[in-house]
Amino acid sequence: MFGIKKFIFGDGLLDSLPADVKQAVSEWQALPAVSLDSTHFLTRYVVIDVATDGPKPDANRLTGIAAMVVYRGEIAPGESLFVDFAASTADANLQARQWAALLRFIGQSPLVSYHQGFGAAFIQQGAKRQLGIAFEPPWLDLAWLLPAMFAELNDKPQPLDEWVQRFGLDLGSGRRQPMENAMILARMMQMILVRAHGKGVGTATALIEESHASSVLRRTL
Amino acid sequence: MNTPQEAMPANVAQEVSQVEAMLRQAGQQRAAGNTLAFLARHAPFNKMSEQALQRFAENAHIAFYPAGSQILGPDSGNVRFFYLIESGKVQARQAGEVNVTEYSILSLGAGECFPIGAVTAGRPSTNLYTAVEDTFCYHLPAEDYLALMSTSPEFNLFCTQYIASLLEQSRRQLQAQFAQKASEQQTLNSPLVGIGARNPISVTPETPLRTALETMSQAGIGSLVIAGEDRKPVGIFTRSDLLDRVVLADRSLTSPIAEAMSPAPFKLEEHATAYDAMLAMATHGIRHVLVTDHAGCLTGVVSERDLFALQRVGLRQIRQAIEEAPDVAALQQSATDVRQLAFNMLAQGIGAEQLTQFISALNDALTRRVLQLNLEKHNFEGIDWAWLAFGSEGRDEQTFSTDQDNGIVFAVPAGETADALKQRFLAFALDTNKDLDGCGFPLCKGNIMASNPQWCMTLDDWRAQFSKWIRTPEPVALLNATIFFDFRPLYGKAELADAMRRHLLSQAASTPIFLQAMARNALEVGPPLGKIRDFVTDLEPGHPGKVDLKKYGSRIFVDVARIYALATGVHSTNTIQRLKLSAQKMNIKGEEINAVLDGMNFIQFLRLQHQYLEGEPGRQGDNLIDPDKLNELDRRILKESFRQARKLQSRLKLDYQVNH
Repeated sequence: MFGIKKFIFGDGLLDSLPADVKQAVSEWQALPAVSLDSTHFLTRYVVIDVATDGPKPDANRLTGIAAMVVYRGEIAPGESLFVDFAASTADANLQARQWAALLRFIGQSPLVSYHQGFGAAFIQQGAKRQLGIAFEPPWLDLAWLLPAMFAELNDKPQPLDEWVQRFGLDLGSGRRQPMENAMILARMMQMILVRAHGKGVGTATALIEESHASSVLRRTL
Repeated sequence: MNTPQEAMPANVAQEVSQVEAMLRQAGQQRAAGNTLAFLARHAPFNKMSEQALQRFAENAHIAFYPAGSQILGPDSGNVRFFYLIESGKVQARQAGEVNVTEYSILSLGAGECFPIGAVTAGRPSTNLYTAVEDTFCYHLPAEDYLALMSTSPEFNLFCTQYIASLLEQSRRQLQAQFAQKASEQQTLNSPLVGIGARNPISVTPETPLRTALETMSQAGIGSLVIAGEDRKPVGIFTRSDLLDRVVLADRSLTSPIAEAMSPAPFKLEEHATAYDAMLAMATHGIRHVLVTDHAGCLTGVVSERDLFALQRVGLRQIRQAIEEAPDVAALQQSATDVRQLAFNMLAQGIGAEQLTQFISALNDALTRRVLQLNLEKHNFEGIDWAWLAFGSEGRDEQTFSTDQDNGIVFAVPAGETADALKQRFLAFALDTNKDLDGCGFPLCKGNIMASNPQWCMTLDDWRAQFSKWIRTPEPVALLNATIFFDFRPLYGKAELADAMRRHLLSQAASTPIFLQAMARNALEVGPPLGKIRDFVTDLEPGHPGKVDLKKYGSRIFVDVARIYALATGVHSTNTIQRLKLSAQKMNIKGEEINAVLDGMNFIQFLRLQHQYLEGEPGRQGDNLIDPDKLNELDRRILKESFRQARKLQSRLKLDYQVNH
């Protein structure tokens, strides 16, 4: 029902957008919600990592987004997406189309990232600015989930590199590109899913709750 | 990879979808870069062409196996992937009694791959592969692996050399073991001295019941011999005596075992043969024969099961008779033998899983021979085709006489037309269906038979038919799915059936709406557990007091297993295999799934027992049992089995958001 309403009334979609972008975004908004109460194995998670030209969402800009799918416990490199905003700054329509394509790739899947607050702020800003819509997907934050699930390794949030070392993931050195980061996060997600299952945290909903609880608990203590 | 991409209308704006395709390509290239960097560090990949590596990197998925988890084993069915270890450690262990290679345990690390022989041959792995550390593995689909074998000379050389060394090892091992086995071969002429348990545990007649029962429990034995100080047997006590003579007789556990045992047990001397023991069991209606030496002292016990183990020869003989049968009349005799032997096995308490597998194996052999005999009159040389079995036959879960459910898939070679070929196959199928009917497989009332033009189709037609059912999950399509999606090639080119299966799995996985409809359908009937009484027994009109074990029991397991198999890409059709393998993929704990399988096996066992032991001999009974007539133990197990069915359904309900 809400989907149809949004389709008719537009939900703040920018008037200036090309017709194909409007249509694609409306269709994305009308997609039926995906169940977050299925077994992890049947849930399609989208891992996201961003590159920016600075730390402040209102002053700096996104330069790239990498997205990769973890589904049925596996990573399929063929099911990945990369947006290079740095190369498309001049063409506003192209940027809008890239945003619409990103939404289509994500669908209604829950997102996974490291320090969600940072990436989410940039992505939400971008979606608002470029398309005029509020983008509020279910979101999992590995920075808080990892200490909750692997407390025996580290029970406080750490820089990502600390976890890479702890898990002994050998994935090259130096500054990583967003897709390389997404690949690392996707692997950590695979490990988390197995661990979560063992702990009885069997669904995306339960995992999101775990992520929130971990963040609240550790921030207040 | 087929993910449940939410269905997008086809008329979506061209421009956005073009941009999306470009962004996906950019993503794929970057993501593959990671794999390429890994391959460049390991032989033989570091010598392979860029193009070959690109193919590997784009198609291989990455999976994670936590330490201690099983990756692949002989039970996993035909191997579908080539596995390359990226990080971690994997242990390969020989499974089964026959060693195929010289090593029995092998440790594999980063850059090593498996199971090369099995994936090349498209057969199950002979080894059990377990992750001993947290392990990341690349999964390259078998099709891509074979394509790499045929296009990359470096990769081909690497794999063929590996297989050659494996074959040489296995040939030497088999020869050594064959000599050993042949000398151990036993028959019904073997003396009792070599059969059954040697030096069995015994107690004296004065032993209190409690001590005797504890002895049995500790030793894990089902029968206990009572002998005097001189080792001369005076009685036997079995588990079935426990119910009648102890529990129901209200006998105190402090009373001596002599009061509860069967006195004067049947004895044979060590040099008597297995045949003598079998005859004694049949004549006296007993299940155990005690073995003594010339002085009459106890040296062993032979049970009905021990004798059955010897009868493997009997199975082999039936099988040989089938394979050499000159005509359908001879096969009819074999069909009778199969049923008779199956009755005997059931009467001896062989489990439902083994029994149905055994019946399926012999029925398969029978059907193949009928097909061969008919192929003498119908020539299909140069044409790729396969005979398919559907339904319970397709799942390897046949009971003694199941209706025929079969079909044909064929490929049309250049120069032939599909229609003309189809007419030839239909004529062949009609003859075969009639002969199978003659051998005790009744014609299908629903006409699901290869002689029906609807079910004798080209590969493309089958694929189209499957797609149609999946896209429009109406009641008829869902019903057909429950029969036709459980298919198995019985004769001919198995690759055709493989192609059908791949199509089916990819279509089903990418159409969540279909699986959800299947789930809704499967949840329409639940197990007959009552809120107040143990069982609900008034569900079948005309049969008050009875429970239909198929409709409210085994079918629940079968339906749920099918859905999870389709959802998780499991190629097997057998319900037990489907549940085991999909549970493995979904990380469901071993004990959890074993409880479910035990439940399903018990219900199947009760069905078989009710059908063939309680009704008129030789006539197939129904699936309606009266739970009040079961003994207390069986009633409890049945209740627990239904609970397992309910648990399985609740899980399905959650996974597919079905709210009734």
